[in-house]
Amino acid sequence: MDKPSQQDIESLVKLFGESDWKEMHIKTDTLEFFISENPGSGLQNRSVQANVVKSQTEEIKSSPVVAEKPEKKSGAEYEVPKGMLAVRAPNLGTFYRRPKPDSDPYVEVGDEVTESTEVCLIEVMKLFTPVKAESSGEIIEILVSDGEMVEFNQPLVLIKPS
Amino acid sequence: MTIRKVLIANRGEIAVRIIRAAHDLGIETVLVASEADADSGATRMADKVVVLGPAPSKASYLVPELIVHAALSTSCDAVHPGYGFLSERAILPELCDKHGLRFIGPKATTIQSLGNKVAARKIAKASAVPLVKGTSNITDKEKAKREAETIGYPVLMKAASGGGGRGMFVASDEKDIDAQFESASKEAEEAFGDGNLYLEQYIENARHVEVQIAGDGKGRAVHFGDRDCSVQRRYQKMIEEGPCSIMSDTSRESMRSAAVKLMADLNYSNLGTVEFVYDPKRDEFFFIEVNTRIQVEHPVSEQVSGVDLIKLQFALAEGNPNVLPAQNQIVIKGHAIECRINAEDPENNFFPSPGRIANWSPPQGSGIRVDSHCFSGYQVPPFYDSMIGKLIITAPDRNAAIARAIAALENFSIEGIKTNLNLLLDVLRDQCFRDNRFSTKWLENDFLNSHVRD
Repeated sequence: MDKPSQQDIESLVKLFGESDWKEMHIKTDTLEFFISENPGSGLQNRSVQANVVKSQTEEIKSSPVVAEKPEKKSGAEYEVPKGMLAVRAPNLGTFYRRPKPDSDPYVEVGDEVTESTEVCLIEVMKLFTPVKAESSGEIIEILVSDGEMVEFNQPLVLIKPS
Repeated sequence: MTIRKVLIANRGEIAVRIIRAAHDLGIETVLVASEADADSGATRMADKVVVLGPAPSKASYLVPELIVHAALSTSCDAVHPGYGFLSERAILPELCDKHGLRFIGPKATTIQSLGNKVAARKIAKASAVPLVKGTSNITDKEKAKREAETIGYPVLMKAASGGGGRGMFVASDEKDIDAQFESASKEAEEAFGDGNLYLEQYIENARHVEVQIAGDGKGRAVHFGDRDCSVQRRYQKMIEEGPCSIMSDTSRESMRSAAVKLMADLNYSNLGTVEFVYDPKRDEFFFIEVNTRIQVEHPVSEQVSGVDLIKLQFALAEGNPNVLPAQNQIVIKGHAIECRINAEDPENNFFPSPGRIANWSPPQGSGIRVDSHCFSGYQVPPFYDSMIGKLIITAPDRNAAIARAIAALENFSIEGIKTNLNLLLDVLRDQCFRDNRFSTKWLENDFLNSHVRD
């Protein structure tokens, strides 16, 4: 295979982190990649260990074949402005700003929030999951309108971190 | 009901295949994808793509609620499940029915009843389909040993709710049952949520032959010929062809009729496959199971019958029984061979080989069909099945099809990842394969052991 780029490795690490796998082992001509949860390390959080054998010391040149960008932009591809953080959808679903149709919205633009502040609701087939801000700061923009379908990882709310 | 917009609950080559058929019919397509599949041949073709969830299937493709929610939010009126994933789980058609969506496949109740292999055997027996000697559910190994004694060794231990070889083993004597019963039961429990096993007589040197069926849901069923899928490794098919040319015409006709009768008796609706083991020595066939989905190898039947089976699925799902052709309108002509192209390294125990395909150059020409979602620059994700495409060859007879398949494989270039292209070539050139002298164990036990590449 082509020499893996930094980005390829990062995406593997990220995917591993999001999975519930114990370990991942990928071996090709140019790379051996092993990543594992490390239960003996005494760390409380899941720790990942990336170990690139026969590491690529050469500068990785841009791949001769570059995948074209898909034409159809999905909601998940919105670019978050610099210095801002986005609260993202945990899965596909319907976005709601209020816990119940007749309640006030969870948050308004200008509100100060903390990590644990609930900012919206994602519904999948009548199963409602509140979404937390996960960072503290000021609400700058609500990116999705009430009742709209959102995709996995789509930015929902913009926060300016404090 | 006319289908206007369909949601495709699958990925890879079958998603491409379904999108193509839908567009031919003027049906709009919405494709669901995991985050890892956001760019593929299928997402580039679909009218709309929605990202369901992260890469792992159980957080994306295997969540029926996400699929149905996506279909409703994008105003689809039908859902096509493809194969694998949720295609044989009754929960998806149940949810579709509940929310007014057409499920492109059999009824939920049919999927449910045929999904249990012990129940399916009873159904087949009621339609007078030949069965190998077998048992009901067996929960402990002492009973397994007593039953095996009655049937006679060797026996095949199988998962009651199983498929794909999981929870399955061949026992030549009591010791094999002692050694493997518990681990097989555990494997079945993990894979299918049902640890029940049952026993069947094991036919040695058997072939795997299956009949492609379509039913109108009102008691009429027709077949589209048979397929021989005996070139397998660990119960995974590698080469499929049709028709099965070592069967006598009498057996072939009676196998096809048995399959049609079974599905007609079930009021089977949409497409399905009845699988058999065929014993060439005795020229006898026995029922294995019914697959209640479109299968990977459906193009073999399309090529020899000239019928687009995916379009037929759409038409049948719209509810008009007249779209099902009469049996005498379906003419099986010529020979087709399908080779599954996998991203794996046969030299290294078939280790998966995901990664970026630097160059994808499929062969072209008369009688050559390639079904795939790949292109130069495509990244094969490490999360799913290793199949990256299928080469389907059609010719007037088996020998001509083999020659054409070899020429096509020689002109197939895939760079950047390891594939089984060379292995497929070696199988097609092998004298046993050419002479049609092989069983379902041949590839694994004989060919691969003696196979050394220059």
